[in-house]
Amino acid sequence: MYRWFLSLRYLRARRTNWIGAAGITVAVAALILILSIMSGFLEESRNHLRGNLGDLIIMPNQDSPLSGNNTVLPKTDEAAMMEIVRANPHVSGASLQMAWYGMLVPDSKSALLKHPVFGDLSLIHLVGIDVPDEYGASDLKANMQASDDSGTFKVTPVADLQRPFDPPPFYYSDGAPKAGIVLGAQLAAAWNLHPGDEVELFSLGVDPITRSVEDQGCNRTFVVTGTFRSGENEMDMERVYVDRRTLADMLGRTTAWSQILVKLHDYEANKVAAVASLRSSLAEGGFVHRPSGDDASDYYRTEVRTWEDLRGNLLGAIENEKSLMGIMLSLVMVVAGFTVFAILSMMVSEKRRDIGILTALGAHPSGVMSLFLMIGCWQAFLGASLGAVLGVLGALNIDAIETKLSELFGIQIFDRSIYLFDHIPSVIEVTGVAMIVLGAVTCTLVFAAVPAWRAARLNPIDALRFE
Amino acid sequence: MTDPSNAPTTDDAPAADIILSGRGIRRAFPVGERSLEILHGVDLELGRGQRISLMGASGAGKTTLLNILGLLDRPTEGEVWLDGLSAWTLTTPERAQLRNTSIGFVFQFYHLLAELNALENALLPAMIALPHVAYRHKREEYEGKAVAMLERFGLGDRLKHRPGQLSGGEQQRVAIARALLLDPPLIIADEPTGNLDSSTGERVLELLFDEQETRNTALLLVTHDRRLAQRCERMVHMEDGLIQADSTLTIPT
Ligand SMILES: Nc1ncnc2c1ncn2[C@@H]1O[C@H](COP(=O)(O)OP(=O)(O)OP(=O)(O)O)[C@@H](O)[C@H]1O
Ligand SMILES: [Mg+2]
Repeated sequence: MYRWFLSLRYLRARRTNWIGAAGITVAVAALILILSIMSGFLEESRNHLRGNLGDLIIMPNQDSPLSGNNTVLPKTDEAAMMEIVRANPHVSGASLQMAWYGMLVPDSKSALLKHPVFGDLSLIHLVGIDVPDEYGASDLKANMQASDDSGTFKVTPVADLQRPFDPPPFYYSDGAPKAGIVLGAQLAAAWNLHPGDEVELFSLGVDPITRSVEDQGCNRTFVVTGTFRSGENEMDMERVYVDRRTLADMLGRTTAWSQILVKLHDYEANKVAAVASLRSSLAEGGFVHRPSGDDASDYYRTEVRTWEDLRGNLLGAIENEKSLMGIMLSLVMVVAGFTVFAILSMMVSEKRRDIGILTALGAHPSGVMSLFLMIGCWQAFLGASLGAVLGVLGALNIDAIETKLSELFGIQIFDRSIYLFDHIPSVIEVTGVAMIVLGAVTCTLVFAAVPAWRAARLNPIDALRFE
Repeated sequence: MTDPSNAPTTDDAPAADIILSGRGIRRAFPVGERSLEILHGVDLELGRGQRISLMGASGAGKTTLLNILGLLDRPTEGEVWLDGLSAWTLTTPERAQLRNTSIGFVFQFYHLLAELNALENALLPAMIALPHVAYRHKREEYEGKAVAMLERFGLGDRLKHRPGQLSGGEQQRVAIARALLLDPPLIIADEPTGNLDSSTGERVLELLFDEQETRNTALLLVTHDRRLAQRCERMVHMEDGLIQADSTLTIPT
């Protein structure tokens, strides 16, 4: 009974004990906070990348092998391909896309066009889509109605979601009626563009000889009909949606697609089966190369891919960063453990006489040891639970905290233009929090065990000899 | 509780009316590379309820002997029997328990725990004896006992005081209450008045003698004060690690 009683008394008697507990609190809170943010990044990245990419992406084989047995180029009849894709039982939606690079110039600045140097005009990503199909394969429809929680980039929805590229009703054209485009919210904000504004788009291509990017001479005036916000910074800054046929027409191309976005009913459960069945049915139809020889699977891989295959590097990097941060912050835990070690060691030498008295009164060494271990336990328990509460609260309110801190110090701590998202994501993983708390308690007890062991080994007669 | 391999020692067990018996006790301390023997073979027996004083010059080895008889220190040679048990054939927890229930210590420097108040200090042996739940059951009983004792010692209004707020005499009285709490058959007191002025010391000792008599507890008292020693029924004199004289007195009442 005396162990409980005395450990609490000793804990309260020394203010340094609170420092030990505070160290653990800081370590636990920081670990939970950082890991929650990293998990949030990971999950948010996955969600965004996936929503913006679709579940699977089918691309025409660009570097067709002209050597070996494969001398026949695969067919690229998109209507037949879409039929095969849609027939697959795993597929819930598929959308043809045509992607191109270009530049955007608001009409008032069209003077710039005459200039041979493009100046500060930034590259944009032109994506031609077929409207109802695209809604079924990506998050575009939701993104065009995104209600803004941060207020930074406001989304202006198109007038009619079913016909997003129709000019807004109040738009009056003095020339031929223009086709509409939907811009990323950040891009629209950067150029101060609103529905009804006219912009000039022109396409860029790579010169096959000099390999430099240059104006292909295809340009056309469009009218802005609305904006979208995907939350992926790069997309919101660079992407412009156009009707696929309009884009093909502007570019003067016959091949009017560059990839097929596929949405599955249940991606996580069926991704492997879906990829395999799509590959084989497309191969049967002659749309991708049939496997031949040993390395045949390579051709498959380039043609039907999951979004994870495409963005695996990015996700892997974030995952890597998460474990690295975890390891680094575990060092904070070790430092907190050392603090407890130092505090308890001090207490043991300070309480030598008490240890002698307790032994004389009938406490045995293991009792003395558990007395000091218990003090470490209290510190670990208090520190870890407080740290868990603070860490979870911090992770839940990280955006508000960041805003306050940014205001306080006058710097932007989380620069939204660098990251994919315009808010700080965080996801609290219950098992992660439990592991951190458990780890903190274990670590503290391991460090507390050393001074406790020394206390148990003290010779009572030495401890009692002097006042 | 005796180790069966040491079975013959059971035959050596002292008579039932002997509470404490030390036989052929030697104690050597390592000093540098050599070892220095402080006790050279001490024999001492203490009957139940007996009050015995131990005197001797400073450095004679009185405290060393008391530590051994109080089971805090292991003799280099020799045996210690307490309450019919050979102390060093027991396991460490058994020996700790024996110390807890059978010996009350009173030290020269009181040795109270600074973080506990007078009452809690007096209750410490019971807290050590019992696990949490058992203590909770018996708490009132022990508290009543401790409070009654402290009140008898004139500390009724000092129960919640910390040792730092008490005088030396008061602290020593708390220490005596602590030593007596579990009614041990033996009290070991090493110069309990050594740190007190003579009149305070006398009053404190009076109290200890009274309690010892009413409880019929054996008392082994180390003192430098011949007058106090003469109030014991037996006087033992130590010199250079050996007992030189052992005389039984008739106590004047
Ligand atoms: N742990 C130890 N190591 C070395 N020597 C020791 C140790 N403990 C005691 N001694 C020595 O043993 C001798 C006896 O010491 P002890 O404390 O028993 O004397 P004492 O009779 O109690 O004296 P006093 O009346 O001053 O209390 C002393 O010379 C002391 O230096
Ligand atoms: Mg001494």
